[in-house]
Amino acid sequence: MENLLEVKNLRLYYHTSKGAVKALDDVSFSLKEGETLGLVGESGCGKTTTGVALLKMPSPPGRIEKGSQIIIDGTDIVPLSDKEIRKNIRWEKISMVFQGAMNCLTPVYTIGRQMLETLNEHRMMEEKQAVELIKEYLGHVGLPPEVMNRYPHELSGGMKQRVVIASALFLKPRLVILDEPTTALDVIVQAQIINLLKELKKTFNLSFIFITHDLALEAEVSDRICVMYAGKIAELGTNAQIYGKEPLHPYTQKLLQATPLLHKKVDTLAFIPGTPPDLINPPTGCRFNPRCHCTMEKCFTEEPPLIEVEPGHQVACWRCVK
Amino acid sequence: MEFWNEFKRDKSGLVGLGILILCILLVVFEPLIIPYKEAGTKWRSIEYWQDNSQSAPPVWTNLFTKTKQAASADLRDFSKTVDADGNTIYQFHYNYQYDLAPYDLIIRAVGTGTIPLTVSVMRPDKQVIELFSTSLYNLSENEPIRISILNSSRDSALSFVREFESEENFGNIQTMSAGVTEIIFSEAKPGFVQNQIPLKGNYIFEIKVSQPIAEEGQEIPKVYFEEPHISVVGRVSGLLGTDNSKRDIFSGIIAGLKWALLIGFFTSIISVFVGVIYGIITAYFGGKVDSAMMFFWDYFISLPVLPILIVAAAIFKPSIWTLVGVLIVFSWAGSVKTVRSIALQIKEETFVEAARALGASHGRIIFRHMAPILIPYSFASMALAVPGAIIYESTVSLLGLGDTTVVTWGQILNDAYQGQAMLTGLWWWIIPPGLAIAIIGMTFAFLGFALDRILHPKLQTR
Amino acid sequence: MSEVLLEVKNLKKHFVPHLTLAQTLAGGKKRVIKAVDGVSFSIMKGEIFGLIGESGSGKTTTGKLIMKLIEPTSGTITFDGEDVTFTNKAKTQEYRRKVQMIFQDPYASMNPRFKIRDVLLEPLIIHKMHGNRAEQIERVLKALTEVKLTPPEEFLVRYPHMLSGGQRQRTATARTLILNPKMLVADEPVSMIDLSTRAEILHMMKEVQRDLGLTYLYITHDLSTARYFTDRIAVMYLGRIVEMGPADEIIDNPIHPYTQALIAAVPEPQAGKVDIIKKLPISGEIPSPANIPSGCRFHTRCPYATEACANNPEPELMDAGNGHFHACARWKEIPKAQ
Repeated sequence: MENLLEVKNLRLYYHTSKGAVKALDDVSFSLKEGETLGLVGESGCGKTTTGVALLKMPSPPGRIEKGSQIIIDGTDIVPLSDKEIRKNIRWEKISMVFQGAMNCLTPVYTIGRQMLETLNEHRMMEEKQAVELIKEYLGHVGLPPEVMNRYPHELSGGMKQRVVIASALFLKPRLVILDEPTTALDVIVQAQIINLLKELKKTFNLSFIFITHDLALEAEVSDRICVMYAGKIAELGTNAQIYGKEPLHPYTQKLLQATPLLHKKVDTLAFIPGTPPDLINPPTGCRFNPRCHCTMEKCFTEEPPLIEVEPGHQVACWRCVK
Repeated sequence: MEFWNEFKRDKSGLVGLGILILCILLVVFEPLIIPYKEAGTKWRSIEYWQDNSQSAPPVWTNLFTKTKQAASADLRDFSKTVDADGNTIYQFHYNYQYDLAPYDLIIRAVGTGTIPLTVSVMRPDKQVIELFSTSLYNLSENEPIRISILNSSRDSALSFVREFESEENFGNIQTMSAGVTEIIFSEAKPGFVQNQIPLKGNYIFEIKVSQPIAEEGQEIPKVYFEEPHISVVGRVSGLLGTDNSKRDIFSGIIAGLKWALLIGFFTSIISVFVGVIYGIITAYFGGKVDSAMMFFWDYFISLPVLPILIVAAAIFKPSIWTLVGVLIVFSWAGSVKTVRSIALQIKEETFVEAARALGASHGRIIFRHMAPILIPYSFASMALAVPGAIIYESTVSLLGLGDTTVVTWGQILNDAYQGQAMLTGLWWWIIPPGLAIAIIGMTFAFLGFALDRILHPKLQTR
Repeated sequence: MSEVLLEVKNLKKHFVPHLTLAQTLAGGKKRVIKAVDGVSFSIMKGEIFGLIGESGSGKTTTGKLIMKLIEPTSGTITFDGEDVTFTNKAKTQEYRRKVQMIFQDPYASMNPRFKIRDVLLEPLIIHKMHGNRAEQIERVLKALTEVKLTPPEEFLVRYPHMLSGGQRQRTATARTLILNPKMLVADEPVSMIDLSTRAEILHMMKEVQRDLGLTYLYITHDLSTARYFTDRIAVMYLGRIVEMGPADEIIDNPIHPYTQALIAAVPEPQAGKVDIIKKLPISGEIPSPANIPSGCRFHTRCPYATEACANNPEPELMDAGNGHFHACARWKEIPKAQ
């Protein structure tokens, strides 16, 4: 099966007066149709930036550097103009549920009005048709059509998030990027939304890129998981390889050890000393070396490449290279 | 000091500080800088400005015109001699290099008793014109003597013209365009009734004080004649010209500087301070306190200022400090609404809650936590209040409620308006006070923003 | 035998917001928002007690009531044997020295214009403790060392925005320790901290507790962290406690359907769950605290609710043995969780 999305050597730098912040530094991965790829990491690792880069919407002074390739359905979108992206790619092929989007619904307009506005931005259609389409998708996310006449403050958090998801879907994209879609929601509502996403994925044969910092949530949602650190991929593997056996990258190992379990009493939760590195001047060699518990000499001099150590499992760590 | 290092980094703050220091120096050294020493207290005195030019542009306008107009001058150097007949002769030298003669010449002195005197001038072409001759009687002790050539020498001027003018032209004397001074200072040739060619060179003015004739059997009365000097009333005068009441505007600006600083400083700082604290307190306590305080404020801000000012002026003597007091009383309410809305938001901040959880008293929270956040707004308000206060003062002066013992920029502006400076093209009357107010406002704004940058650490770039 | 440090009996907090003019004209009645509606529990000395709930459960309001940041509508709070429900100014100040709070957002809980030195000096200045400035600085340095912010002198002159999230939360903790309190109320102290640093902060908090003999009230929505950190927990729903007991016991053997649903909904980092649509027996979302359902307030969402649940008076906490309390009248009839 052809890959729906292929990202090769993606670099996104923020050019500030203090230097270039290497938010994404040579990121490569692929996504098949009908698959959910999870991007997981802590604050500043680049997971949100990746999502935004795939829509070619880096916030200035960010720039996608030369040599990056983002190939969607066979077309590299990096050289395309913004006009073309707006017309053919954004919301048509890829759409995004942004972090905190549910709180960005304008309080002064009804839900229906806001969804119509989004729809009209991307496709001109007769109002009647548009309304019908919106009602259809509200139904898909489990909301009654009356919601169109409600204002955001009349809806609960879960309902608002469903509205945002519906807005991301109504132009039938192939790939939906979800950035922390459940972070602000209660646990039970979160489970409801995750269930909804899984159902939608099946119904519409969608592919997801699911971005979160919650490792436990990632396990329940993603087929393949991409662990990011300091703008690079540390480990990329299947759900079974990361969560079933033990992961290979020391960072992933430590992260899992730092995640408290509900059904098992954990004696000591692990933590990683130090803080994520400065992205203008990252450490030489492996970016994780200041905080890693099992460094070798090579870790401080040479940056480890992302190497496939078993089918479908890539790691960027010298310890894992034979 | 760390503070100073921080302050130095903000260029506009340094500009503001520089201007402020300059202003303070000007105020301190005012007696040395100001051309008319008593301009501040004698602004409304007609006598003090008597000898000055009226509505004269600044002297440096001569740089921009082909026709150089005579500048005002004060001739104080004289040589005193006594001639054979016992007459005292005071000689003044005046080097005239202009194209347009002075407006007038004023002979001044002080004297007592009876003084016969004659004033004449010897021109560069060696012609002598007797300008004025009379005896002054019964002057009381050290009475000021003032003789205006313009008024007193018309006949002398006419005689002089007659001497040199052709009969024909002289006959058309009604259409003579020249004034006394023009004749004195122009070449004596036919046709100079209509067209004057300036005669440049050294002029010697002579005041001859004669010995009076003694009465029969009486002693020769002593002549008391002191401090003679001649004021040349120019057509251009001073660094910033004069207004229609002959007042030197540069002196007015310098004299008004200290009041501008004082009015601006005190009014803005105190009224903004009161308003900010009021706004924070009412927002912090909320509930009934808020309702009561805002009711009071509502009433206050709707008060008609003018009628109250008039009544206040009728009761209190209008001094500049009363004025500042009144300005504060009516300005404090302006910032309250905005401060209150900001304070309502700050009240909800977690660190305020944390301070409460630590047991902080109301006072501590208001002054240590909430007020500092309003410093940027306060400074901006203060800076903006300064020009407003100065203008407000001028409006008050209009009502006759101002302090007439001092001169302020607002008053100068007001006089300019009353004197229709715009219509008569007296730009040097309008621009300096307006520009001065703007500069002071800008100075406080720069200072305010620089100070805030230091006091608000998050804005520091590190 | 541990003694009771904090006892809360039937605590209630009802908010009555003012009606707007439009609402009054429309003949609207005054709504009552019952944020906390009859909460009772005790915390033993040296214990870490967790208060678990989703948004709208009333857990944060309970925390604020215990901190005396707001006054209860009814009920009592007893601390160290003394009734502290309503205290005069002096007594309140005394209470503040004994009970302190760590807030959720470490950055927002400190005045951004204060240097760390000023942040930490503040409690000493407020309570006029520890003599002259030099002695106060000593105390501040000691507190920074207690939370492992070393070298402490370096941190004194920094501003909050120059610290990392973990360092800020340590500073906030140090601020609470300066007064030598007996109990700390921690409101979601690690939810805004990175995962890799969370355990470090919790570890620090546990060490501090051991070294200084503190008692904690730990408020959170995260059951997994609560299991790791707390000794006993109480699960809140819509202003009341529905289940309470030792953390392990509650999580392994939940009795109340709400607790069961919460536990079922929590994601776990295990493989093989991607294609599973979770069974969520409860539907809908939490009702508004202005419209509390009749009878057992959970009956509108409970999969096991009967008419009796809606009509009978609300169940009080029942003892199921082993220190395990719950508020489900039908507990013997409903299936236990898997």
